[in-house]
Amino acid sequence: MEAIMNVNFIQELLLSMVRMATPILIVAIAELYSERAGLVNIGLDGMMAFGALAGFLTCYITNNPYLGILAGAICGISVNMVYAFCTITLGAEQIVYGMAINIFAPALASFIYKIYFGINSTLISNTLMSAAPIPFLGKIPVLGNVLFNHTPIVYLAYLLVPFTYVFFNKTKAGLNFKAVGEFPKAAESLGINVIRTKYLASVICGGLAGIGGAYLTTSYIGTYSDGVVSGRGFIALSAVIFGRWMPGGVLLAALLFGFTDALQLRMQVLNSGTPYQLLAMIPYLCTLFVLAFFGIKKAGPKANGRPFFKEER
Amino acid sequence: MNTKNNLIKILVPIIAIVVSFLVGAILIACIGGNPIEAFSYLFRGAFGSASNISDTFVKATPLIFTGLAATFAYRCGVFNLGAEGQFVMGAVASIWISTTLTGIPAPLQLVISIVGGAIAGGLWGVIPGILKITRGLNEMIVSIMLNYVAILFMGYLYSGPLREGSVPQTGSVTARLARLFSPIRIPEGFIIALVLAAVIYYYLFYTSSGFKLRTVGLNRTAAEYNGFPVKKLILISFIVSGAIAGIGGSVELHGTQFRLMSGFGEGYGFDGVAIALIGQLNPVGTVLVAYLFAVLRKGATTMQVGTGLPTSVIDIIQALVIVFAVAGSAFVNLPKIRQVFTNLTGKSKKEGK
Repeated sequence: MEAIMNVNFIQELLLSMVRMATPILIVAIAELYSERAGLVNIGLDGMMAFGALAGFLTCYITNNPYLGILAGAICGISVNMVYAFCTITLGAEQIVYGMAINIFAPALASFIYKIYFGINSTLISNTLMSAAPIPFLGKIPVLGNVLFNHTPIVYLAYLLVPFTYVFFNKTKAGLNFKAVGEFPKAAESLGINVIRTKYLASVICGGLAGIGGAYLTTSYIGTYSDGVVSGRGFIALSAVIFGRWMPGGVLLAALLFGFTDALQLRMQVLNSGTPYQLLAMIPYLCTLFVLAFFGIKKAGPKANGRPFFKEER
Repeated sequence: MNTKNNLIKILVPIIAIVVSFLVGAILIACIGGNPIEAFSYLFRGAFGSASNISDTFVKATPLIFTGLAATFAYRCGVFNLGAEGQFVMGAVASIWISTTLTGIPAPLQLVISIVGGAIAGGLWGVIPGILKITRGLNEMIVSIMLNYVAILFMGYLYSGPLREGSVPQTGSVTARLARLFSPIRIPEGFIIALVLAAVIYYYLFYTSSGFKLRTVGLNRTAAEYNGFPVKKLILISFIVSGAIAGIGGSVELHGTQFRLMSGFGEGYGFDGVAIALIGQLNPVGTVLVAYLFAVLRKGATTMQVGTGLPTSVIDIIQALVIVFAVAGSAFVNLPKIRQVFTNLTGKSKKEGK
């Protein structure tokens, strides 16, 4: 009996780890593309919030979670285009502008929600995306359930990791992309269009961050409330640092943060005696400790965070 | 050269505010409201009566503190996004002091409590500082994570050990900050905030230590070559920034809320960053913008009651101000645009080099 309970517990824990890690992974990969092109985007939280709302609303109206994800991506891109224009073309400070996005996008999301559902609306829930178990693989005991019994977005998120790895390390386009983040002037002199690459990075970043937000409201929670993102964008940001700007490392970091999140939720269910606030601190404290012990100073792209002006010598 | 730069620095936020109000008006019209009516409710809510004016000052007070905290840190080139956590920890320290240190005169208790709040905020602020200078960690991420920890810790306190009554909240403090000048009733906390702003202004712009601190913010390499103690200055800026936010939390506790409960200090950290950036990282600007935000907030409730428009319209206007102000500052600093400005004023600025 005890053994069965334990197997069940571990299976549940791993299952929710994979689910919790997904939004962090998607958004961390988003940031990876952005930073590889030299754009530090700390507006992830804001883009996620807006994507979460867009996904929720679309899903609520059409009853189709996939359209919700698509809407999340589109809205994430459009918000990030504001950031892209101001930081790439105007050369505004990236950190400052990311912060502006973090303030602006959630305010806009909350406004649209209140306009649509009225000021004093109750919590409204929508249809969640159903799981699509992969044939054969999903039938493997324990492992099948943990790895191959998820919504398509989860598979997509994990497929992004090898794709990103191959893109950055094995393709010419990816190497050009990286060159922009390392030394934009040299890249420009080799005929790489720096500005266009940076905009492309912003499109990818915004789209993925929007999907990460929409995942929360269409496949995970099913309701929208202000603060639904609760710092996941910043956790994703630290996943990039902890993962040392490499897709594999980012995956590990996302799984670790997903694990701590899953663990604290499981523990809340199991021992109701402990105040939940103390358990809910675990993911944040874990992020801090992991960064403090394993974060390194200079592994990121060299020209990260600097504006690029073509004419400047 | 300097006066021209200063003029631009003042003009950019003002234009940003005007444009944001215009966009806000269009937005209100789009959802079927009457912008003029909405804004008149807004200003009536903020200034309509003596008690409304007083409430606006009350709302401005915590914003000034977190705005000053962000200003101080960013002047040294570090981004303190943790003002909310430091604010909360300041209030937590104050409520602990107020409930354990009884039996002494109220004014003395108040002073000890506020000093305690400053120390707690400073200690919470020193963590990202230490991690930045020793491990090179991104101070933004660390301070954000600490925000969540602080808020959860406060939640644990008011629903556990310090809970009083059936609702999850603490008991109320007995030592309270008064309100001065009878008809308008300006809260003492507001006066403290103004004094603090003046002190910070003096420190930053009229002392050699403040000059060094600003140098680190403007050009760290230059500061290092000049032999300034860069790491020490960064650490100091974190401690002072945290302490300012901590005092804010303490003042909010003793002057307005009197107890800790859900939502205490919520959003003040990010608001502070926005205010500091719009105020061009100048303590005077910070105070003014904080007051503007308070006007918007106080008026927003009246507007919602009067016109049925949600208060989040005002949140959008606030958010737009920061979006436009930052974009505007970057725009006037573009090399090409700079050239235009220089050409426009070229003849009169020969002595400026």
